This record gives sequence, structure tokens and C-alpha cells, in this order.
Amino acid sequence: MTEVLSPLTVDDAIALLVEHDEAMPLAGGATLIAMRNASLVEPSHLVSLDRIAELRGIDRTADGTIRIGAMTRHCDTAACAELTGSLHVLRRAAGMIANRVVRNMGTMGGAVANADPAADYLPALACCDATLEIAGPEGRRSLSIHDYVDDWYETALGEGEIITAIMLPAPVEAPSAYRKIARVSGDYATASCAMALDPDGQGLRVAIGACGPGPLRDRAGEDALRGKLHDPAALAEFAGRLVALADPVDDVRGSAEYRLRLIPRLVASVLSELAPQKETA
Amino acid sequence: MMVKKVLHSLTLNGEEVQVATAAGATLLQTLREDLRILSSKRGCNQGVCGACTVLVDGTPVRACLTLTARCEGHAVQTMEGMDGDRVMATLQRHMVQSGGVQCGFCTGGVLISARDLLEADPTPSREAVKTALSGNICRCTGYRTIVDAVCGAAEELSQ
Repeated sequence: MTEVLSPLTVDDAIALLVEHDEAMPLAGGATLIAMRNASLVEPSHLVSLDRIAELRGIDRTADGTIRIGAMTRHCDTAACAELTGSLHVLRRAAGMIANRVVRNMGTMGGAVANADPAADYLPALACCDATLEIAGPEGRRSLSIHDYVDDWYETALGEGEIITAIMLPAPVEAPSAYRKIARVSGDYATASCAMALDPDGQGLRVAIGACGPGPLRDRAGEDALRGKLHDPAALAEFAGRLVALADPVDDVRGSAEYRLRLIPRLVASVLSELAPQKETA
Repeated sequence: MMVKKVLHSLTLNGEEVQVATAAGATLLQTLREDLRILSSKRGCNQGVCGACTVLVDGTPVRACLTLTARCEGHAVQTMEGMDGDRVMATLQRHMVQSGGVQCGFCTGGVLISARDLLEADPTPSREAVKTALSGNICRCTGYRTIVDAVCGAAEELSQ
């Protein structure tokens, strides 16, 4: 038996989470209600976040930064015209989550809070250098996406804390893309790759999903690759560094060994989509 | 154990209803157990199979993942409320003609998803139909005839 509470403000939501020991915050429900239906979680209270205006909408702030309210549904992110250029990767990732009907339900805040290593947003957000806005009993804070995942399904979110928004740097004119290898359309990733080129086309940012507890990013390796995107040896070395960072598991979606083999292929294939090599005569 | 019931007001197929349902109930539970709306089926209860798909405020959602408490003040529409809907009637006729109904368990959810697709894209490609129905599982595996039906209905409706 679960009691449903529907606060109207973030402060009230946090007060309810603190007041009830066995309470859980409820975003879109696409994962949490499925888990409750399977008796994997048995919350005494579900603190529903759907009536809190602050958590809704996608806005562009004065300095160009994009703010995505935590309760923004995947279908709205997938259709958001503000997510251009370097942020297009996030639109692509949103549009590949599950299927049309589930995208009408699931939210970015909920997906990020759940931190499924094989889900689509974390690598895309790591590629965008996103920042999470978090509210909790001790007040508000911002946290880089790179400091968010601690371990498998463990995050920096503390007791009573919720994600209120995801902040993205202003988009720049540079291509970006997301690709996932999945058994069937809409499944979680066996492995995935989010990539954005630098505006001058000389460098890139890459995050790999489903190959460890959190998305893999190697910023030093990205720096070393600058100016050498089409040098096969340099690219192989960069992909090798990502493979070395990976800590994949064997599961129904693929073996750890298979996942490690996918990483270099994903990097090469997304790069060839974003920066096709010119034919030499 | 005494089941604690909570009273909710919502619009069901165009009519205001008040329903007493178990605290924390899903819309699927409330529809089937309290309101005797049986077109929405309990398949996986995990949001995967699509057999429970209904409209909330015109948008298709999984009834098994939707809390009834969240539907307070919102409009729920099920197959029972689709009488007189031209797109739905055409889809239903084509499903029968093409043999798209075998055991029938997935059919309601398939039709709600297909209608949503045709509202958004009246002339979908066969590939777009398959993609739109990828969240509706047919365990009779009668997919080809289902896709035939949706394509046939789209063709008829766009003439």
C-alpha cells in the first residue's frame, strides 16, 4: 500500500521526503512504478513531482545556457528545437529511449536520478558537460555530471535530495550525434556513444555508455587527439584509452568482452558520420 | 488486510466519474477492478508490452505505469470511449479485414498507438508504422497483418 502525495513546491516535496522514512520521489514513473509493480521497491509514500511548476519546461537563459526542468518528458526533449549543434546529441538520445508511448511518460530528471548505466541520457549529458541542479534538506547545489555517478546505480544524490533541472552550456555550431547498439529498437544499450565535434572541426568530445557504472569520458585523451581526428594511429590510441577505462559487465545484452570490442567501432563509426574523411585522389 | 481506498475524480471517456480505489493504485488497476473497463489489458505490468495503453489528456501512456492519483482532474480515454471516432473505426475495420486480430490481447493497445501515429502522421511509411508500434508486443507474432491493417487504414483515410 502506497500513499501518493502531490506537493506544489520543491520545498514541500523535500519536507515530505524527510518526514517519511520510506518515501520515494516519483518523476514520470516509467521505471519506479514498474519496480513497485514487481515488488522490487515498496515505498510507504510516493512524493509525486508532477504538480511542481519549477520542474517543468525547457528555457534558454540570458547567457544562452539551456535549462531543462527535471520533469521534462523524453518526447519533449526529442522535439526541442533549442537543442541544436553541439546539443543535438541530447535530442538524438531522447528520441532513442524505449518507444513512443514510454517517451510520453519518462522524464530526464527521473532517468538521471535512476542512473541506469545502460540508459541513454548519461553519456549524452557527459558529452555536453551538463550540470545538475539539486535541491535537498541542506539547500540547493550544482554538480557537474562528471562528479555524479559514484558506482553502479549509486550517485551523489543524498537522502531527501531531488534533481530540479539539468543545465547545458549554450549550444555552439558543431555537429554532434548519439548512437547505440541495442538488441532491438528501444532496448537499453549494449554500448552507446555520444560525440560532439569542436566548432573548428579539429577536436571532439566523446562519452561511452553501458561500459561501466557511469559514462566514460577521457578528457586528456581528447586533448591529445586534437588535430589528429583522421590519423588512424592517434584514433586507435584514443579508443584504446577508452577501452582501458571501461569496466563492463556480462549481462543479457552482451558479454563484457563484446562491449569492449564495440567501443573502438562505435567511436570510429560516429566520427565518420560527423566528420567524413575526404577522399584522396 | 484492509485495503485503504482513496476517492479520485477524473473524466473517463467524456464523463465525470468519482472512483474509490486502493491507495497508490495504478490506472490499470482502477480501470479494470473498480471501473470495469476491460479493454486495457494487464500483460507485463512493467510498461513493456503495451497491452494496457490508454490516452490521458489525448496522449497515449501505459496505464500500468500511471498512478490513478495523478489522473485526478485529467481526461482518460479508453477503447470503450472511441465509438464514433472515424480514424479508430477505419483502423478496426482494416484490422478485421487483414486478419490483424488473433488472440486479441494486444489489439486495444495496438489500436490506440496506431491511432496516435495517424493523428501525427496521416501518411506514414511502412517503416514508420513498425517504429510507432515497436512498443506493442503481439505474442501471436501477427505483426505483418497488423502493419498491413494500419497502412491500409492510412491509405483509405488519406484519400
